[in-house]
Amino acid sequence: MSDTTKDGVQQSNGKVETSHHPEADSRRSDKHYYGIPPIKHAHWTWQIPVYFWIGGIGAGVHLFSTMAQILGHRDAALTRASRYTVLGTMILSPILLIWDLGRPERFYNMLRILKLRSPMSTQSWSVFAFGNLSGLIAARQAAEDGLLGDDNFLVRLVKLIPARFLSLLALPIGLNVGSNTGNLISATSVPLWARNWLFMGPTFLASGLSTALSWLSLILHVTNSGQKKTLRTLHRAEKATIVIEAGLMAASLVRMNRWSKPLFSREIAPLFVGGTLLGGIAAPMALLFGKESRFRSIIASVLALAGGLAFRFAIIKGGRISADDPEAYFTFASGESAPQPEDNI
Amino acid sequence: MATGFLTDTTVCIGCKACEVACKQWNQLPADGYELTGDSYDNTKQLSGTTWRHVAFIENPKKRRLTGDVDLVALAEDVTEPLPGGAELDALGRWAFMSDVCKHCVEAPCQQACPTGAIIRNEFDNVYIQPDVCNGCGYCVPACPYGVITQVPHDGRAFKCTLCYDRQRDGLEPACAKACPTNSIMFGEVEELKAIAEERVQELHDKGYSQAYVWGTPEVGGTAGIGGNHAKFILMDDPETYNLPRHPYLPQEKVKGGTIASMVAGAVLGAVVALAFRD
Repeated sequence: MSDTTKDGVQQSNGKVETSHHPEADSRRSDKHYYGIPPIKHAHWTWQIPVYFWIGGIGAGVHLFSTMAQILGHRDAALTRASRYTVLGTMILSPILLIWDLGRPERFYNMLRILKLRSPMSTQSWSVFAFGNLSGLIAARQAAEDGLLGDDNFLVRLVKLIPARFLSLLALPIGLNVGSNTGNLISATSVPLWARNWLFMGPTFLASGLSTALSWLSLILHVTNSGQKKTLRTLHRAEKATIVIEAGLMAASLVRMNRWSKPLFSREIAPLFVGGTLLGGIAAPMALLFGKESRFRSIIASVLALAGGLAFRFAIIKGGRISADDPEAYFTFASGESAPQPEDNI
Repeated sequence: MATGFLTDTTVCIGCKACEVACKQWNQLPADGYELTGDSYDNTKQLSGTTWRHVAFIENPKKRRLTGDVDLVALAEDVTEPLPGGAELDALGRWAFMSDVCKHCVEAPCQQACPTGAIIRNEFDNVYIQPDVCNGCGYCVPACPYGVITQVPHDGRAFKCTLCYDRQRDGLEPACAKACPTNSIMFGEVEELKAIAEERVQELHDKGYSQAYVWGTPEVGGTAGIGGNHAKFILMDDPETYNLPRHPYLPQEKVKGGTIASMVAGAVLGAVVALAFRD
């Protein structure tokens, strides 16, 4: 030991430095463990954000058509487009959801229990109920459209389905399908999602309604169907919804605070800033508030639909980055009541 | 009766016998042969196929080994001032910690599970029923400790069972059985808590005032999830061991989020209704 002391560098305070300098490694001076994420990110692949988008469209379309029904606005083209759209979304949704399961053949275990504390459980039940109701409603529509043949026993049976009543019944369930996806991701330990528990559901619902109105307006414009009043209403509703969506998006970013950083990372910024904020909200807003024309409306619809999809992908991918960042989780999971090494038990 | 672990990191020697015993008893697949360069830790983290993980913490940030160090005194665990202004702390420089599922009293994974696959068994341990789990993966981001993952090729989520099968036969879990220094203790939660308090007092009396029990609601920190059935005696900040300072129950916000969504639904419905007015 005395030999090393002689060779060592004598410091001004008389102490001798040893060769043990682990602090030179910058990762070690930080308060984490070799940068290994303390929590695990969700493994969900592309099916989940696509489902969030499609489910939101189904919920929003159902909200609009049921409102038309309640207010006594009768437009056969709107009703037809809405009912078939909702059916389509509710056929695709379970396919995507079951596809993403680790054991798809056990999908029915989702309906084994009902757990109000678990948004995944309430979401499964909502999709199940909303899907079945939309199936019945669309069957009635198909019978009325003559798709099931002419006046056979099946048609007479299907025409007994109280579609208007079932639409009312399905309204709250459909709204839950649209908003609960936001609550589902915020009920986790991922800082980006969990921090925004207050606005995540409302933002998803508003974004879902915005994409749904765009979808309806796109379909009616492209097929040149629908009454003038329906199109005018859609246009007004689109304008109002996109403003609400922009407001909720801003509130979410304020709420997420420093933990919103992944959304502006190099990987996600094109999706979030470019695809969602500029392409999916600002651009359609500018088109909708400008001069009204069929062409502009179609472009606005396509942009809003793409923006809604980009938003879902940005949020899911951003959650992955957020969960993989030890600094984000440790700052998020620290509080006033945190234990200190000097605390007595 | 609730059973659990007490992992005393101050006597852990980093032999990884617990990791091996766990893999062997539970027939868990290997995770590959990655050399991380992070001290002697090539396991890195807990996962669906790793239910015990020994962390190697080289942590000299508070007490640097300076001056003419007396290695004999170091080995004999002397903490009084040393000649030549040398400072040392035998426990603070290289720490080991055998991490495991915390078996939370209010378990976020169990509350998240939509199939009811995750239950509390008769020993009050958090247990995944492999015949029910359908691999939705929702428990994975719900866990505030990153314990659970979905196992590729199998599809289901797995984690420490606290050796449910061994407990049913009256045996202690494989890791606790294999631990040569009794760093991993198994028993009733209340008894372990008393042992932990006694041990921390002993450490304080020896001059290691930084020792504390992590995983009891009284200390704070884990109050959000009602404490853990797997507790630890730690010597440094929780973050040093890759543990959160204040884990919380994610499901606590479900009610508020649902109410906010209902309000949003009502407002958006009203907006659509107003749009119908010409």
